[in-house]
Amino acid sequence: MGANITQLEKDIGADQFPPNEHYFGLVNFGNTCYSNSVLQALYFCKPFREKVLEYKARNKRTKETLLSCLADLFHSIATQKKKVGSIAPKKFIARLRKEKEEFDNYMQQDAHEFLNFLINHINEIILAERGQNSNKGGRNTVSSDGDQSSNKNGEFSAQSEPTWVHEIFQGILTSETRCLNCETVSSKDEDFFDLQVDIDQNTSITHCLRCFSNIEMLSNENKFKCDHCSSYQEATKRMRVKKLPMILALHLKRFKYMEQYNRHIKVSHRVVFPLELRLFNLSDDAVNPDRMYNLVAVVIHCGSGPNRGHYISIVKSHDFWLLFDDDMVDKIEQSAIEDFYGLTSDVQKSSETGYILFYQSRDGAETKTTSSETKMNGK
Amino acid sequence: MTTHKTAGQTGRKKQVSFVIRDEVERQHRAGVNSLQLDPVTNRLFSAGQDSIIRTWNCKDAKMGKDPYIHSMEHHTDWVNDIVLCCGGKNLISASSDTTVKVWNAHKGFCMSTLRTHKDYVRALAYARDKEQVASAGLDRSIFLWDVNTLTALTASNNTVTTSSMAGSKNSIYSLAMNPAGTVIVSGSTEKILRVWDPRTCVKQMKLIGHSDNVKALVVNRDGTLCLSGSSDGSIKLWSLGQQQCIQTIRAHHEGVWAILATEGFSHVISGGRDKKVVMTDLKNQKRQVVICEESAPVLKMVATPDTSGLWVATSDSTINFWTIPKRDSLTEVGSGDEADCGNVKPVNSKPEATIKGGPALRNYHILNDKRHILTRDTENNVAIYDVLQVRKEKDLGQVDFETEIKNRFKKVYVPPWFSVDLKTGMLTINLGQDEVDCFSAWVSSKEAELTLNENVEQKVNYGSMVLRALLEKWWMKIANDTNDQNVPHGRANNDYFKVPDHTPLIFSEVAGRTLYRLLVKDVGGDNEATLLNETVPQWVKDIVVEKNMPKFTKISFYLQPHGTCNFKTLKKDRLIANDFIQMNKVAEHVFEKVLGSESGSVAVSSSPGAEQTDDQETNSLAEDKVELLCSDEVLDSNMDLRTVKHFIWKSPTDLTLHFRPLKSSQNSVQKP
Repeated sequence: MGANITQLEKDIGADQFPPNEHYFGLVNFGNTCYSNSVLQALYFCKPFREKVLEYKARNKRTKETLLSCLADLFHSIATQKKKVGSIAPKKFIARLRKEKEEFDNYMQQDAHEFLNFLINHINEIILAERGQNSNKGGRNTVSSDGDQSSNKNGEFSAQSEPTWVHEIFQGILTSETRCLNCETVSSKDEDFFDLQVDIDQNTSITHCLRCFSNIEMLSNENKFKCDHCSSYQEATKRMRVKKLPMILALHLKRFKYMEQYNRHIKVSHRVVFPLELRLFNLSDDAVNPDRMYNLVAVVIHCGSGPNRGHYISIVKSHDFWLLFDDDMVDKIEQSAIEDFYGLTSDVQKSSETGYILFYQSRDGAETKTTSSETKMNGK
Repeated sequence: MTTHKTAGQTGRKKQVSFVIRDEVERQHRAGVNSLQLDPVTNRLFSAGQDSIIRTWNCKDAKMGKDPYIHSMEHHTDWVNDIVLCCGGKNLISASSDTTVKVWNAHKGFCMSTLRTHKDYVRALAYARDKEQVASAGLDRSIFLWDVNTLTALTASNNTVTTSSMAGSKNSIYSLAMNPAGTVIVSGSTEKILRVWDPRTCVKQMKLIGHSDNVKALVVNRDGTLCLSGSSDGSIKLWSLGQQQCIQTIRAHHEGVWAILATEGFSHVISGGRDKKVVMTDLKNQKRQVVICEESAPVLKMVATPDTSGLWVATSDSTINFWTIPKRDSLTEVGSGDEADCGNVKPVNSKPEATIKGGPALRNYHILNDKRHILTRDTENNVAIYDVLQVRKEKDLGQVDFETEIKNRFKKVYVPPWFSVDLKTGMLTINLGQDEVDCFSAWVSSKEAELTLNENVEQKVNYGSMVLRALLEKWWMKIANDTNDQNVPHGRANNDYFKVPDHTPLIFSEVAGRTLYRLLVKDVGGDNEATLLNETVPQWVKDIVVEKNMPKFTKISFYLQPHGTCNFKTLKKDRLIANDFIQMNKVAEHVFEKVLGSESGSVAVSSSPGAEQTDDQETNSLAEDKVELLCSDEVLDSNMDLRTVKHFIWKSPTDLTLHFRPLKSSQNSVQKP
């Protein structure tokens, strides 16, 4: 890269370059683009980056975890002297391969599976560390007998309070089921870190989300065990969003299992994802129904199948868009995003298509997470 | 009884079920789905969620005497609808067990079973003049039956032809025909009514207007008008000639599930989820009266021929008789708006007669011994059942269910070997080979309190014991017929119980259709034996007829010295043992094989016969010298491997047991 001003700096313009911002590509260690693309997207999800750096500042010398490796990586990007360049996430990948058998090879992995694993795993690390801390405070000596129970209690109180991962990514889905025999409606809430959305050709993400909340009929072999009737009965079921998260991660289900081929086939359908998004598939008792979202990052799959091809990501930083392709970083025009909507014809198998969309809530963009939450709840 | 089979034996897995119940169940156990009245004999027929159709003497009911006449039992799931035909001689029933059955209504026996439907049969319709019955259900199909053909079916002549009305895109919940059988109407989750001409099976029209499922239908005598009740809370009057809705009646706050029309379609009587029964004048729907308010949602109503009173069935098990006020006495109430219809007081506060229903079992808890089940019914009565002996052990009365569960907690783990179903409000036990293997529970006869042979410590298999007992008459008959000398006759080599003779035994596809139902007392019959040979699944035959022994369940585990004893770490050996092996046996193993070999000689060796004859002593010796631990918890010597794994190890991974020699014996063991 040398001392010369890079093409990227030129493209952005020296006077336009955001202060305290660094655009660093991530070196590929052999099919690790699934990780690189997700990490870049997460780095540019501002609330997440802030919390990871905060974690780094608070935990100087902890035992190595995937979170500590991630914190080190984010910290090292954020504290680079140069504004642009590339960095090798060596320690993070090494740790990842140790943590999960499935990632311990040089094969292409599913970026969504990785994201899912990463978010859940980080959350578990935070909860585990919280449990340890609450234990340390209580007692000095560790006896073999009593310790177990106190540990459990500590864990219990620690479990119930949300972590910053919850505060950023967690939303609540509510499923309402109506038994067609007794017509009793029962609803059940479940937490989510991302929404997995089925896609249709030549549609928009708004349409796909609406379909996500269509009424589903539970019948035939798939009847509903109604508590009220004590038996299996037909029922209608509907999933709607009850609480919108600060960062809404949408996973487009582009890999469909095809029985005739006995493998997953990529669905390259054109699905428009707008820069601004509002959700309409909310439950009647939704906590924050008016939340508006801005698109901040997209993980893009290039190629023809889940286990081949390449992942890149585009992110919004300040007022412009950047494309991260492993160690390469380029500025792109906003209009170029359209190229990643998908293909209108199904003839071609290979395509560059949006795969995971990261939408950040407008109210959460500037203010601190917790204060914005209470503000929304208080309404 | 003849069986009409259109679907042959399929490859689906089969299960065996039995119902633990009284011999005669005089009361409905749960909701009553359908009613029919025989005005000639003054008998009421009621069909319920408990799978039983009962016959009642209306006169006795009105005089406060016990009205029960008899039960018709052969269905294995909810009976959803019944139709009385041939002038009260025959009854047709539709059930969630996917069958339609034909009964002799007077004597109460099942004449034949129609298996043409592939899902729950929800509704029946009857054309009196033609003696035709139509059935419809969740499989979206409508079949038309000629009753005289159905009642003439015999074992050899068991084919019926049926015509079907095609076109319904969704599950059908209601059906109606006019007496002449010139028009048939169906209501479904499509929210529309579909109309056919049953004579030609030609589609006539679709009627659009309701915004939810259509659950009740009536057609007038000449087939020109139709009334429909919907889950959207409205009743609609349709002109079939004009093919449109001519009136929408608001009488209920919630779904309308049952409707009746008076002769000449002058008034409609409706009931539904809001528990009210309302009569509305169709010429002026402001003239409305609330006949009664039931204690549960109304499922079905049947009026006396003179429309002076009506029987009302609800999702509660009690059936009430209410007086219908004189129709000319109806006065205008409110504006006829939906908002007003609920504020009117019912004209009757008390039913004129009541057929009392019983409570339905609603909750169950399988105790850890996997033999006893605690149940709670709709009246909060708690009872305890013994699955192995197929009987109710004790009524505990209206006590706290959770407390009883807590009081009966035992820290013992027995693998699950059956599943429980309460859909009929009675305890149904399912035995299968799928998710739950019914041969997985091996228990020591001592533990099971079965002192079959005084001194011998035996392992018994719960699943095989109960199957042998249920099918005793069948396999004994096979043994006698084949004159097999190896099979013990009678109960000499007794390893099973005598189960109640009246116990219904059901063979079915897993989560599917019923194949055969019979009573335990009948399994030895000649006709039954033939059918049993066809239906009994091979895995049952293997155990019951072939007398094979079910396999033991193995658990693998590691044995290691405990950190507190200064043993050099042994090779981490993976051991495999039966899941019911107790800790004293493991201690014995440690004592003899592990500690013994290390010291070069065995300190105390058990003589070859000791295990059988002097078991107790050897055990106590080993127990005194070796202590076993799991997750740092010292284990009781009577605890078995599976209990340690379930309650202490708490993980699906291989169990690790630690051992340490006890102080008193340590020296002598290490340095003999």
